[in-house]
Amino acid sequence: MADAIHVALAVVVLAPLVASVAAGSRLLLGDTWPAERGVATLLLLGLVSSLAASFFIAAAHGGVWQPAVRGEVDFGSWIAIGTYEIPAVFFIDNVAVVFSLLGAVLTALVARFSETYLHKDPGFFRFYVLLGLFAAGTQLLAFAGALDLFFAGWEAIGIASTLFIGFFHERAEPVRSAVRAFVTYRMCDVGFLIAIVLAHELLGSTRLSDLGRADELPGIAVTLLGLLLLLAAFGKSAQLPFSGWLVRAMEGPTPSSALFYGGVSIHAGLYLLLRTSPVLDAAPLAAAFGAAVGLATAAYASAVVRTQADAKGGLAQATLAQTGLILAEICLGLTTLALVHLVSHALLRVWQYLRAPNMLHDAHHHAHHAGHAVEPPVQAGARASRRLYLGQLHRFRLDDRLDAAVAPVIGLARFLQRLDERYLARTLGRDAQATGDEHDGPPA
Amino acid sequence: MSARLDSLPMLVFLAVLVATLVIVPDFVERQRPRGTTLLNAVLPALAVLSPSPVLAYVLVALGCAAMAAQIRHTARVGAGMLMLAAGVTLLCAAVIAGVGATDSALLLSLAALALRTGVVGLHAGVSSLCRAAPVVQAQQFSSLLAFAVIHLRFVDHVPAAAAVAVPVVLAGAATALVFALLSLVQRDLAGLLRASLLMHGGMMFAAIGAAGRGHHIAALFVALTMTLALAGLSLTVLALEARVGKVGLQQSCGRARAFPRLAAAFGFFGAAGVGMPGTAGFIADDLILHALWSESVVATIAVTVSSALLAVATLRAITRAFMGPVVTSVAPDLTPVERGVALLLILLLLGIGLLPQLVVAASAGLFAVG
Repeated sequence: MADAIHVALAVVVLAPLVASVAAGSRLLLGDTWPAERGVATLLLLGLVSSLAASFFIAAAHGGVWQPAVRGEVDFGSWIAIGTYEIPAVFFIDNVAVVFSLLGAVLTALVARFSETYLHKDPGFFRFYVLLGLFAAGTQLLAFAGALDLFFAGWEAIGIASTLFIGFFHERAEPVRSAVRAFVTYRMCDVGFLIAIVLAHELLGSTRLSDLGRADELPGIAVTLLGLLLLLAAFGKSAQLPFSGWLVRAMEGPTPSSALFYGGVSIHAGLYLLLRTSPVLDAAPLAAAFGAAVGLATAAYASAVVRTQADAKGGLAQATLAQTGLILAEICLGLTTLALVHLVSHALLRVWQYLRAPNMLHDAHHHAHHAGHAVEPPVQAGARASRRLYLGQLHRFRLDDRLDAAVAPVIGLARFLQRLDERYLARTLGRDAQATGDEHDGPPA
Repeated sequence: MSARLDSLPMLVFLAVLVATLVIVPDFVERQRPRGTTLLNAVLPALAVLSPSPVLAYVLVALGCAAMAAQIRHTARVGAGMLMLAAGVTLLCAAVIAGVGATDSALLLSLAALALRTGVVGLHAGVSSLCRAAPVVQAQQFSSLLAFAVIHLRFVDHVPAAAAVAVPVVLAGAATALVFALLSLVQRDLAGLLRASLLMHGGMMFAAIGAAGRGHHIAALFVALTMTLALAGLSLTVLALEARVGKVGLQQSCGRARAFPRLAAAFGFFGAAGVGMPGTAGFIADDLILHALWSESVVATIAVTVSSALLAVATLRAITRAFMGPVVTSVAPDLTPVERGVALLLILLLLGIGLLPQLVVAASAGLFAVG
């Protein structure tokens, strides 16, 4: 059974990745674009294999074959130098199995759905290659038994998410939105990276099983570790003050919006906190902060959703409200409730996103059966006060405030650029004359 | 002797790699006079294989001087920097020949490395090369791998190495941070490549500093990854500029349809350089952060932030160079030879990233000198 579990874990991660790489390498090597049907079939094969492996692991974990498989499954070391190690270890427990099944089922469904939805779209091929990368990242995230491995899956999801947002890259807005989401991801990932190094220094290991010893650490150290993990989760799950990118992320194709921002990616930050919950348990201040941010995000999104004029924008805010609540549940130690909430929310939301293009049709259908027009939602903000209403309408200018916070960094970069120009003008004067080259200036 | 024999396959691999990477830019733009590229490739490769530190440093110095001679009319400041680096390297060889691998040899070797990686304040030479002789800059950066290897093998174990570790790490981290910030405000792709080269040069310098306290493998991984990723990035930037001229970043140029393979390769190399999972960059980033943490927490944070900033700048460059309203072009996408080279670099980055332990095992006896 141990060997079979090793094979299943390898298949669950590698099958979609291999399919994606096989399809992608045809781009670099081939002289013609591959056919739609061939690409979709190849990726579906990878995704279905991954799904089957995920079911197999769930069955083994559930005790269908005795003894039940639980805890760490070791593949040795990814890299080991002296005492330092990145362990190639997977961790099988209820949370991992549930998240893996959720990811595998939703990805396979969306892949099948998209075969029709994106038929003849110029980005059809790209969509499926990215979907394979995302599926591999999700499964790695689900079963990772060490923070380093978790981060690898986390990054794969982030890259796929960014490229899906900028999927319609001929238009300016999707591209801008993709860059904004990526900036948020990368800046919050700084927290995750430092948390990994810190965990290694404090606990001597980044294995999830060793995080259980977090309560032995000094209070300040464990609080810092908890805050760094929260920062990473805030970025990925669009919690305040990083919520602005989520509405903009709706620029991507509807199937990817459903999968990422209704189903899996938006919950990845919450899943990180579920995996590292011993740290939050040992750091009550960090947990209280996380709960406060979660509740604030839920309140913010509940207010803003009432003024959203478009279906996907409204769904994005509704998603935010629920993820805020799930974050609060995790931080309050209600991890089982949080997991149930996460799964049910993901399933409902994916369905809603996939139905979003038919929303007008659905409304007319309901109106026809009800015998009268459906009333628009009550603009609660408008009744309360004009100022609040305007705030809701502009999403409380969250993006502007974040831009203002980032502006000094760009200012510093421009200042350094001017210093560099002066320095190079003095030292490269003769070179510049010889080549007729101009010095780099700040962007327009 | 046995340690040396154990590490022979790794040395041969590194020598072949250095020679290959130096030749790579020649596929895009053939260098004159003919044969200079071969010389630039062979000298550092032989230096890697040399069992004698004196000979290794002499070969590196000669390689540096050969590059300087090649561009003396086009990039005078760059040529001057390379000549100065060659002189310092020769002096290092003389010190080693006279009194052995001492603290003085280490400091001279570090000084030459600082010049060639472009540590902030000393980066005029590298900037000059980037602007006036980008192909030679790509070659000099690739041959830096050879220099880093001989530095790690022959001098980075003297007593002063541990003493200077923190200042070297801080200088490297400061360089990485400054040029990562500068990468955010570049107006053209060449400027982004320059900032990227200098940022990674800073990371390499910091990793070499940390190696003074025993993190040799981490430094080797960083040097290997930076060289591979930046060779690919340089190749794609040079290839794109050879087709469409100077590439501005002020507005979206929509070239993804015209050059899909070029866009994909650029994206891959850019991502590998900033630590994409599955590539060697991910392992290098992980190792360098752990290595730096024991020297300086500030440097660790600076390098982490630098990597994030450069990732943002690289994505911005991709969106500007390749995305936007579609334009057509009569110029071809990557040629079969360029595609082959790109594929080789991609496979190496993926191979080292997925199976890093092979590199660790093969390098077991590499840094046992002393």
